[in-house]
Amino acid sequence: MELTLLDRFLWAATLCGGLLTLLVLIVRGRVRSFPFFTTYIAQGVCTSVAEYFILCHFPILTYCYCYWALGIVDEVFQLFVFYELAKHVFCPTGVWAQDVRRTFLGLVGASVVVALLLTVLAHPTGRLPLQTFVLRSDFFSAALMSELLVGMLVLSATVGLPWKTHVARIAQGLGAYSLLCVATDPITNYLVANRRADLYKYVNHLEISTYLACEIFWIVMLWREAPVPRELPESMRIQIYTLQKEVENDLIRVRAWRRN
Amino acid sequence: MRNLLFAAFAVLLLLALLGVLFRYYLRTKSAADVTWDDLLKRLARVDRDNIARIALDAIDESGQHRNGEGAFSLEPSVIWSLLGGLEGLQVLERNCQVLVELAAYLQRWYPEALVVAEQLRLNAREIEWHVSRLKGAAQTGNLQAAFADYAQRAVVTYYLMTRHLLDLYEHASVPQFAQLQRAL
Repeated sequence: MELTLLDRFLWAATLCGGLLTLLVLIVRGRVRSFPFFTTYIAQGVCTSVAEYFILCHFPILTYCYCYWALGIVDEVFQLFVFYELAKHVFCPTGVWAQDVRRTFLGLVGASVVVALLLTVLAHPTGRLPLQTFVLRSDFFSAALMSELLVGMLVLSATVGLPWKTHVARIAQGLGAYSLLCVATDPITNYLVANRRADLYKYVNHLEISTYLACEIFWIVMLWREAPVPRELPESMRIQIYTLQKEVENDLIRVRAWRRN
Repeated sequence: MRNLLFAAFAVLLLLALLGVLFRYYLRTKSAADVTWDDLLKRLARVDRDNIARIALDAIDESGQHRNGEGAFSLEPSVIWSLLGGLEGLQVLERNCQVLVELAAYLQRWYPEALVVAEQLRLNAREIEWHVSRLKGAAQTGNLQAAFADYAQRAVVTYYLMTRHLLDLYEHASVPQFAQLQRAL
């Protein structure tokens, strides 16, 4: 497969973007808060290098198999990142907020069902069965991630749980990329089915460029510090722990009593 | 044909997601700019004496469940009128939504108060749940049966929650205490 100058540029740029994102995550100490996201970015860098090496030294069919297989790994990592973001939003005190547990599971279930139904409806025809499978799973993953991230935004706004700055920025980047893939995957399916490799290239470039933009966004946003929290008045700090216990006890009593 | 249908549904999904995203983006953006005063202005006034009377029918001053003769002496019809009917419950529900936002405000700007803010948020959400059950019962004509169980419990939770919030601000001598007291 012949790589054009633009292909090489985009490959190099996304690799540099991934390395820089990784560097920012490590230098600014975000790894502790976002271990899955860091792993996802590291996996992206490794995949990028491995794919280039395979493309240069192995037959094209080997490259295709590796490209598709690694695509599935990427999708699995995205789900871990989603779980990490959800934990940041819905576990403000370290445990899952009681009032979101069932709704959150419902959101995940409904998102999987909708994404699955749409994926079943898709009828991509790749050259190899694995390609067809990956085209389907690409769309499934993009649809699922978009639904989950949008659903998470709606749920958090409804129950009144705020997003921390960096969590929001990671979700925005990932969400934007997933939404673009939901738009481009049907086009990709059509172009692959009709053997329009010339046009498929443009769609592919658009996807890579969007991911590159997301990487730049993450680099800038994760480098910046979150707004400094306001200082809690000393007297309020003392009261807080007592009050928390009182409120907790009240709630247990109110839940338990029955009208005679 | 199948691919066309797939493309149509994919576009529909995309438009729906973008629509929801845009709506909630505006909502969260405006929530991020909101000040403490803005939130307090949105709290509707409730008759605190009536709330206390209903709550103290079920609990004592220390918040303990009351037993004996004086306990639960208010008839559901009296509670209903003290609350101001379904409209009164809706005011409580709206106030709870504001209290959820107040808790979010605390969580956003004072991470040290996270635990209390989360507890207040859960209380407010529980009251919302009780009120939604009552509204559902009113629609199905079962209000009478559901009222005693949910309404007084919602009022007790509201009473205790607002009392704790007021305690918190009073003891902390936070300047906004007087405003909050007036609003609640």
